Amino acid sequence: MIPYQVCNRCVMDTSEPEISFDENGNCNHCTAYLSNEHNLALQSDTSKKEDLNKLVERIKSSSRNSKYDCIIGVSGGVDSTYVAYLVKELGLNPLAVHLDNGWNSELAVSNIQKTLDNLGIDLYTYVIDWHEFRDIQLSFLKASVRDAEIPTDHAIISVLYQVAAKENLKYILSGANSATEGIYPVTWTYGIADLKYIKGIHSIFGSKKLKTFPSTSLSMKDYYILLKQIKTVPILDYIDFNKEKAMQIIQNELGWRYYGGKHYESIYTRFFQGYIMPVKFKIDKRRAHLSTLICSGQITKAEALEELKKEIYPAELYESDREFVLKKLKLSETDFAEIMKLPIKSYKDYPNSKNYFEFRKKVVPYLRKISLMH
Amino acid sequence: MLRKRIIPCLLLKEEGLVKTVKFKQEKYIGDPINALKIFNEKEVDELVFLDISATERKEEPHYDLLSEIASECFMPLAYGGGIHKIEQISKILSLGFEKVVINTAAVDNPDLIKEAAQVFGSSTIVVSIDVKKNLFGKYQVYTKRGTYNTKLDPVKHAANVENLGAGEVMLNSIDRDGTMSGYDIALIAKVSNHVSIPIIASGGAGNLQHFYEALTLGKASAAAAGSFFVFHGKNRAVLINYPSEADFSQSQIF
Repeated sequence: MIPYQVCNRCVMDTSEPEISFDENGNCNHCTAYLSNEHNLALQSDTSKKEDLNKLVERIKSSSRNSKYDCIIGVSGGVDSTYVAYLVKELGLNPLAVHLDNGWNSELAVSNIQKTLDNLGIDLYTYVIDWHEFRDIQLSFLKASVRDAEIPTDHAIISVLYQVAAKENLKYILSGANSATEGIYPVTWTYGIADLKYIKGIHSIFGSKKLKTFPSTSLSMKDYYILLKQIKTVPILDYIDFNKEKAMQIIQNELGWRYYGGKHYESIYTRFFQGYIMPVKFKIDKRRAHLSTLICSGQITKAEALEELKKEIYPAELYESDREFVLKKLKLSETDFAEIMKLPIKSYKDYPNSKNYFEFRKKVVPYLRKISLMH
Repeated sequence: MLRKRIIPCLLLKEEGLVKTVKFKQEKYIGDPINALKIFNEKEVDELVFLDISATERKEEPHYDLLSEIASECFMPLAYGGGIHKIEQISKILSLGFEKVVINTAAVDNPDLIKEAAQVFGSSTIVVSIDVKKNLFGKYQVYTKRGTYNTKLDPVKHAANVENLGAGEVMLNSIDRDGTMSGYDIALIAKVSNHVSIPIIASGGAGNLQHFYEALTLGKASAAAAGSFFVFHGKNRAVLINYPSEADFSQSQIF
């Protein structure tokens, strides 16, 4: 067992099994984050502003014949709500897309409603068949991997692509951003794009046929990216995205309400991140988020350490969520106790496309160049 | 005066929620338990669950699901779908439902209403009446989820179930179902003028003005809606919503 160590610069620690530290005690994650020349969160505001203006022009001219300019995803959370606010400020006319995986909280739906009503944005919702999705979520719990939220993330991306292709739109403006979530160890979540992994786990542990789960195979992804020329742009990277300020703005302008934790707008997410992750996998995902905020200069390390002392999951919320989650997943207390006791596995123990992804990373830039020549 | 009730009416098909247009075009809208949790937190007055496949299925209601629903729900609940026996009513009430909604059996076996009202009290028995206009504009009562024309006149049928002891009539316009184009006010007014038990208007709500019309011009005691509470905007995107107290009072509903 390796001795416990926390990074000198950020708050990442040895709960990340593949973490490494340099001679100054700084970890590989914040070092990579700070030395990435493509990291837009670290670039100057003036150059970003210019890039943003160009981007808006490109988006507008890409959609002259469409009712909408671009696609945005909405979850009711800070990031996607701020994207909605920002794109309207920029004079764009987005179509909002929401994935309903059966775990929306009241806060999530009312935040979405207020945001869209106040900004005059149209909505499209994709509802996954709940019995099918429960089967997938249970499969991931039984597989005993940390990546239990991957099916949702994969489905969101797939629906965004599907709608963009159907509406003939070239831009998906995503709320993913390097200023607040740039640090993200692969050992904590793997597989968002790896359909082989998702289907592999489901075929081992699931019992239902997948009919409505929105998925994107690699050839579909090529179709969207190369043939349909759909681009996913992390638009929050083009501005000085500050979480505190963003929250202030959407609260004042849109009547948005906070739900008390990153991605806590989904009941399953907060139960997974607030209970299963720390108790079973000994991981406090806030460390990654807070480390990013330290590196992007939004908080100090001392503030991050203070934040980590706060309870990860308010006791009252935990009690009611636990009962609700077990009821929805149709798990008895005994079933759940067994799941919590299963030996911990990783994606490496199941079918996956990791090697193929590494290969593609090298090849796709060339393919893209070739397709642009036509 | 009693506060007027605004009631989300959710359609169950097997274990999922659906929404229809004119009793057809079923669209899957999600997991009933999650919908219920959201409505709970929105503090709605009352909720109605109707299992639209129950009569056809000719089996018992899904008691397990109903029990989960009842255990999750804080507000008064009504269930309808496939009820044709006293024992079923007794079981559903024992699970925690306040009311049962009876449609087909109220036509096929009126004695059931009489007996149920005597055993459980009128306030627990809601008779739902599905109405469609024929080519000549005449209102006719349909049963079996809108597939069987009884040729009954809704006013007479409503008066009849009132005499049998029903506590409420849920009056549903098949033609307006899911259209969000407004209630059939003429139908609602016609029935509420002839019976003294409360009428729940249903079918067609698309905005707050529609509720106001049903409760004032239609003289209904309550207004139920489906699409209005589960869809957002012109794309009919699934998003559960319920107006705030302030929105209702601004529209003079409360």
